[in-house]
Amino acid sequence: MASYFGLDKLVKAVRIIRNHGGIRGALYQLYRVDDLKDGTLVGEDALGNKYYENKQLLLGRDRWVIYHPRYGMDYDGSLVPAEWFGWLHHKTDKPPTEVAPTSYGWLSGHTENKTGTEEAYVPYSTTKPKIEAWVPPKRI
Amino acid sequence: MLRIGVSRLLQHGSRHTAASAAAASAARAQSSAPEKIEVFIDDIPVMVPPGTTVLQAAAEAGVEIPRFCYHERLSVAGNCRMCLVEVEKSVKPVAACAMPVMKGWRIKTNSEMTRKAREGVMEFLLINHPLDCPICDQGGECDLQDQSMTFGSDRTRFLDTKRAVQDKNIGPLVKTIMTRCIHCTRCVRFATEIAGVEDLGTTGRGNDMQIGTYVEKMLMSELSGNVIDLCPVGALTSKPYAFTARPWEIRRTDSIDVMDAVGSNIVVNHRTGEVLRILPQVNEEINEEWLSDKSRFAYDGLKRQRLLYPMVKDSSGELRSCEWEDALIVAAKALKSADGSVAAIAGGLVDAESLVALKDLVNKLGGESTCTEEIFPDAGTGTDLRSSYLLNTKIVGVEEADLIVFIGTNPRYEAPLFNARVRKAWMYNELNAAIIGPKVDLTYDCEHLGDDPSIIGKLLNGSHPFSQRLNTAKRPMIVVGTSLLARPDGGVLYSQLLQLSQKLRSGCEGGAEWRVLNVLQRVASQVAALDLGYTPGVTDICNHPPKVLYLLGADEGAITRDQLPKDMLVIYQGHHGDRGAEMADVILPGAAYTEKTATYVNTEGRAQLTRAALVPPGMAREDWKIIRALSEIVGTKLPYDCLDDVRMRLTEISPNLTRYGEVEEANYFTQASALAQLVSGKQDTTPIDVPQKKLEDFYMTNSITRASPTMAKCIAAVRKEAANRYIE
Repeated sequence: MASYFGLDKLVKAVRIIRNHGGIRGALYQLYRVDDLKDGTLVGEDALGNKYYENKQLLLGRDRWVIYHPRYGMDYDGSLVPAEWFGWLHHKTDKPPTEVAPTSYGWLSGHTENKTGTEEAYVPYSTTKPKIEAWVPPKRI
Repeated sequence: MLRIGVSRLLQHGSRHTAASAAAASAARAQSSAPEKIEVFIDDIPVMVPPGTTVLQAAAEAGVEIPRFCYHERLSVAGNCRMCLVEVEKSVKPVAACAMPVMKGWRIKTNSEMTRKAREGVMEFLLINHPLDCPICDQGGECDLQDQSMTFGSDRTRFLDTKRAVQDKNIGPLVKTIMTRCIHCTRCVRFATEIAGVEDLGTTGRGNDMQIGTYVEKMLMSELSGNVIDLCPVGALTSKPYAFTARPWEIRRTDSIDVMDAVGSNIVVNHRTGEVLRILPQVNEEINEEWLSDKSRFAYDGLKRQRLLYPMVKDSSGELRSCEWEDALIVAAKALKSADGSVAAIAGGLVDAESLVALKDLVNKLGGESTCTEEIFPDAGTGTDLRSSYLLNTKIVGVEEADLIVFIGTNPRYEAPLFNARVRKAWMYNELNAAIIGPKVDLTYDCEHLGDDPSIIGKLLNGSHPFSQRLNTAKRPMIVVGTSLLARPDGGVLYSQLLQLSQKLRSGCEGGAEWRVLNVLQRVASQVAALDLGYTPGVTDICNHPPKVLYLLGADEGAITRDQLPKDMLVIYQGHHGDRGAEMADVILPGAAYTEKTATYVNTEGRAQLTRAALVPPGMAREDWKIIRALSEIVGTKLPYDCLDDVRMRLTEISPNLTRYGEVEEANYFTQASALAQLVSGKQDTTPIDVPQKKLEDFYMTNSITRASPTMAKCIAAVRKEAANRYIE
């Protein structure tokens, strides 16, 4: 009956809005990721990003990440660490919370893509510059 | 084959006899021989004075005879035999460079016999010359290559093995590939006759002959680079330039050298935004065709330690690069808030355009002190009269002089090409030289009168034994070094010299046309700065420190940060990070002399123009433009927008600054000497000294040379050479 009048949709919308912390939170989420979805929290990574799943949604839209609020609008796909990447992209169905990834001593920690920032990687030139600049002496 | 060359070598050291001098300077002697004789070069009649060689007569007729060993500025060796020509009724071909013409000779420079002789000589020369033109640095500008194409045979008959010669190490500047040597002995004659170092010579004979130093040692000369230009083949090439470029891919820009105050004319060879080498350009009145090693090889200093971006000191006291806008605004704010308490110091490599712009800016802001780093005494007329600070007899004037006295200068290292000219006059014109100051080797006989400053006073009142010779000299010259004038008692000594010169001038045979007093400046910018009204010396700034100090290329450490109050803002504008940039709060990057079209006035007072070969690197700009831009931000816009306007302003102040290539003569010696009599002061007893005494002091004298790795190598090599036990 409720579904006949579409009331279940309304109930669902209310639930989603509530899960996002009310109208204000939901609007912010909509503004931030252009999407409002209902899902179960699968886990959280070291950076504080949260991973959700909703199997009722289409494949490809059923797993998603909500970046930690500190990133604001300045989030980037490279914030997803390698261990969550596989689950997020359906390489595996076991999230790292279930099956811990194999760790080796030589693995380095995850770094995000620094392009466009001060720390961006710039490949160094192997040719000597034609004109060498003067470097002011450091004051002690 | 080498007889004449060897006999000339044996002669060196002793004064040239009249005969050899006449042979070498036959062209110079023309004026004294009025009667001319007629000869025919390829049936073209030419009237030449007796004693002219066949080669010179042919040149008169416009026929160039091929040659290797002959060089017009060196003595005649006649050992390459390339200049063989046929003379009618002569059985054998004659060597044109060494044979004086006789009346009515009919010389055939393109006959069957001549061509055959040339082809034969060329074949002999190529017997032992390696076929390594593709990897030879001389390729493309090689006399042997060119002449073998023109006069040589098109096939070889030589099936034997070629001779090989061990390469010599003669220092960090000249690379030797001795297998390529054709034994023209030009380098030997240059070293002996012009550079005055008797290090190069020949050993062995025939096929075993070698050019070299006999024992391994460095060619210790400030003119050694010229042997590279003289070498007709690739035996002597430039070490720093080795394998960098080919002559046909190089762009050439005529310019002026600024390493010393002589203002040698140079050709800047460059490609792809880099100076590849610097070559001399012929200017008979200045450098003839020579160039000092510092001018020739210091170009790699233009690529290091450069100021590429404007810099401003941040809150932590570190210099950080920034945009032009930021740096100019910081500088302009400081200049504005200084409220007229602004001063400027100009260094030694600055051009006249930026000097005038800076002086106008400082004066418009209300500042009065615009100084140069080089010191000149203020006593008497000081720098008010132009004649007081110029090399008044000019560089060519040395060839007319008969007695030259150097006081407090070492011309060999302060102005090598001026010294080469003195040596030339000493060799051919019976010029005598004397020196007051430390005992230094000037490459010619020079009477050392001592280093006591009181000698000058004694010469003035005639009580010194040398006075007799000075008074009887027909055309005496007194050359004063600026290091003497920088002494605390420089004013007193200089006033004595002014009076002495005036006394000698009135007594000498040269008369009123002859100028006795000469000041040998050490830096390229000084004469222009003094012409524009800069104050020499920075004492004024030390006594009354301004709020903002503008350093325009001032790198010689005339003033240090410790001498200045802490709250003073120092703006440095220049092209190299050196002492000036280290003490600056704001750095504005300027252009070096190869990167701007600018006016420099040499020590004679001759205005000359450098031409921009490259664009200034990074964000650097032409110097006068920086000052002009800054003036607009400060709010006291300078009234010139283009280079022509700046030159108009230069002309307004001193018209000689834009009469390029000419020497504007200066006078008023009488007045200067009369006012000099009023000068009194305490005379020091410290001996007269000069900063550049040995060859190692020569190489690094300004910010460009200090940044140059080649110059550093030269100093290291000269120091190492001191340990060479084969050197006396």
